[in-house]
Amino acid sequence: MMDLRKVVLRLDNVTKTFGGLTAVSHVSFEVKEGEIFGIIGPNGAGKTTLFNLITAVYKPTEGKIIFMKTVLARAAKRDNLFLQPYQVAQAGVARTFQNIRLFKKLTVYDNVLTACHRSADYGLAASFLPRHIPFTKMVLPWGRKLVRQETQLAAKTEELLKMMGLWEYRDMTAANLPYGLQRKLEIARALALEPKLLLLDEPAAGMNPEETHALLGLIREIRDRFHLTVVIIEHHMDLVMNLCDRIYVLNFGQFLAEGVPYEIQNNKDVVEAYLGKEDDAVC
Amino acid sequence: MFNWFYIEGILILVGVNLMVVLGLSLLTGFTGLFSFGHAGFMAIGAYVSAVCTLYYHIPFVPAMVLGAAASMVMALIIGYFTLGLKGDYFCIATLGFGESVRLIFDNLDFFGGARGISSIPMITTFELTLVICILAVAALTLLMHSRHGRNMIAIREEELASQAIGIHVFRYKMISFAISAAYAAVGGALYAHYLGYLQPLMFQLTKSTEMTIMVIFGGLGSIGGSVIGAVLLTFLPELLRSFANWRLVFYGAAVVLIMISRPQGLMGGMELTDLWRKFRAGGRKRRGTDVLPDEKKEGGDAA
Amino acid sequence: MSIFIQQIINGLSIGSIYALMAVGYSLVYSILNFSNFAHGGVIMLGAYFGLYAVTLVGGLPFLGALAVAALLAGLVAVALEKIAYRPLRKRNAPSLYFIISAMGASIFLENLVIVTIGPTFRTYPQMFSAAPIALGNVTISRIDVLMFAIAAISLAVLMFIIEKTKVGLAIRACSFNTKASNLMGVNVNRVIFIIFLLGGMLAGVAGMLFGMRYTVYPQIGVITNKSFIAAVFGGLGSLPGAVVGSLLLGIIETFGAGYIASTYRDLIAFSLLIIILVIRPSGLMGRVTEDKA
Repeated sequence: MMDLRKVVLRLDNVTKTFGGLTAVSHVSFEVKEGEIFGIIGPNGAGKTTLFNLITAVYKPTEGKIIFMKTVLARAAKRDNLFLQPYQVAQAGVARTFQNIRLFKKLTVYDNVLTACHRSADYGLAASFLPRHIPFTKMVLPWGRKLVRQETQLAAKTEELLKMMGLWEYRDMTAANLPYGLQRKLEIARALALEPKLLLLDEPAAGMNPEETHALLGLIREIRDRFHLTVVIIEHHMDLVMNLCDRIYVLNFGQFLAEGVPYEIQNNKDVVEAYLGKEDDAVC
Repeated sequence: MFNWFYIEGILILVGVNLMVVLGLSLLTGFTGLFSFGHAGFMAIGAYVSAVCTLYYHIPFVPAMVLGAAASMVMALIIGYFTLGLKGDYFCIATLGFGESVRLIFDNLDFFGGARGISSIPMITTFELTLVICILAVAALTLLMHSRHGRNMIAIREEELASQAIGIHVFRYKMISFAISAAYAAVGGALYAHYLGYLQPLMFQLTKSTEMTIMVIFGGLGSIGGSVIGAVLLTFLPELLRSFANWRLVFYGAAVVLIMISRPQGLMGGMELTDLWRKFRAGGRKRRGTDVLPDEKKEGGDAA
Repeated sequence: MSIFIQQIINGLSIGSIYALMAVGYSLVYSILNFSNFAHGGVIMLGAYFGLYAVTLVGGLPFLGALAVAALLAGLVAVALEKIAYRPLRKRNAPSLYFIISAMGASIFLENLVIVTIGPTFRTYPQMFSAAPIALGNVTISRIDVLMFAIAAISLAVLMFIIEKTKVGLAIRACSFNTKASNLMGVNVNRVIFIIFLLGGMLAGVAGMLFGMRYTVYPQIGVITNKSFIAAVFGGLGSLPGAVVGSLLLGIIETFGAGYIASTYRDLIAFSLLIIILVIRPSGLMGRVTEDKA
């Protein structure tokens, strides 16, 4: 059966070496529009390296990474092209981090508000000028655009925080949030970019089973609501198997298997190399 | 001794320092970049504006603007090459820049060489300084409440995450550095037209360090803190003047003491408005509180 | 031609003093990752310790005074670490806080000397014959030879300690990865104690030699800015880099001063710093690191 959906992300023979160490070797896959695509593999298999390659934190040693119709990175002998991380983000790829990287000292609200910046386009000069007539709510003529856009940003921030169940925590410092909520805040911040592709790096790490279950529903909900494509790295097998449409298995930086959850669960190589003898890890 | 003339002099110095400190506050407190070369930007502002008023008879305000512009251009050039550097290297480069600027003025006869420039018109008054400082504080406060200011804070907090949400980190560092240099240059222009003379020796590395210390003393990431830092640390040495050289010994010891005991400074990232809100709210939880909302208490304490 | 050789010799002689100072910066940087700007203060104290050892206490012979200067300066450096850096280290403070603390310490030391000893220039008594050694057209002052020899011996001893002893192994391990070394049973606090002691002792030697060659005054620390540049030039954190960078800086400076104008001496050094940072921030022999996500 042919899959006619558009390809959102394509990795073509991507290799990354650090000095003599090969972290990722000849990885190729395609992610289709609207899919939830899982990447699994033992610790140190190179999963996060893949995310770092897609988001241009690292430059590939070899291969091509294409998002929609944009080439994010191309490393050939004479024909190199690497976007900067911010350009990848502006193109519509948002991510979360395995070792949470929130704006720690800012409030939950400001974390998301900051990330909304791409939805406004008022200039630098306008930022220096007063917006209101002092001690009144009267907007000055040159401040109109800024005030209007800032109001929109505030509304958007409120909507995102309410959807992620973070609204009542909005005045808390991000660093003081419980671990699970910090992960949710990272997702909210990524969504503020209005991305087309969302990369989630172990979103359920540190969550208990109920929270993990709720997260599963939440990821589906945001996928549908924002028409997203999601790539997810995760160790919680029940989450991966229930959530993902397709799964790519990485072992020592190399391709091991690819397929729908059922195929992966019953793939001998995967069970042997990755899951070892811990049968109960597969649900 | 404590007549108005004397006090006015100190207040003008407060204003001069405050301008440089506000610039550094933007760069260090809000964008997370340290500079040990702001005496260099101050020197550029001072010399350029002084030459404009003294030799070309340009009025003070345009001369000051020219000084600020020259300083900004210099910052953009230096920043272009060094803001991409990792770790301490940017700060080391600014140190080299600051010293180079001083040594260049020291060697250029046009700027009077080591003897410096004298008989600069003494235009700076307390009123002028006050107006400029109020405008500067207001402009900086407004900037920090815009998307551009928020982007700079994001860079300070977490550079990689800033990139990941599409902030052009390098560009915002350049903007922050250039504005910061302009502020320092305005401080320099006021300084030159207050003293009436200039010498390269006024802009040594210790001057840059002194400014950075004021910012840290007041508290990184707080405009109010920077104002308090500039006021206290300009007045304090004056009050200690009778101790002569001992005051610098205390000063050095105090810096070490602050760093090892209260590195967040007096204000520690809070603004005066935050304090006021806290005071008014009494026990109510507001901005940046560390307590979970009541109904979610069982969610557990923060890790 | 003889002027050329003369310049090289002068350059190497000042360069060897820079090297003694620069390795102090590099040692600390290699493990704690910050530029220890209080090092200048230690060097300055070293010059004074040497001066008093020679003039007071019945006048120690040269080597005895050198040992006293080295030991006392080493102790000061260790004390500085305990007071100004250890609390920061415990808190995992960012490296720029260390730099500020170091600058505070440097202001403190400099002004403490101004207040207690006085701001005047002092000179060492004549200890060696001032008659220069003549080699054809080239003349070398005895003190330059002595400076170079002592610097070379001190650096050789340092290299021996770092490359051949167990303590040196621990230092190298820590500079590679402090956390992992700690987990593997290396006593990091002791390693840091030792590098400050070694760096401080070399600073003491450098301070005394510098004081003998020129004069002693509280702002001697300013000269150390140039040895810092040399350390950056060679690659912060690399000891061979610091030595090579220092010798090169000494030669470049002497030539610049000789052929362009002596007033440009400092300007050349600082311009060099900026050029290096722009072209190759990791210096001649520094490590290049990649950011990790």
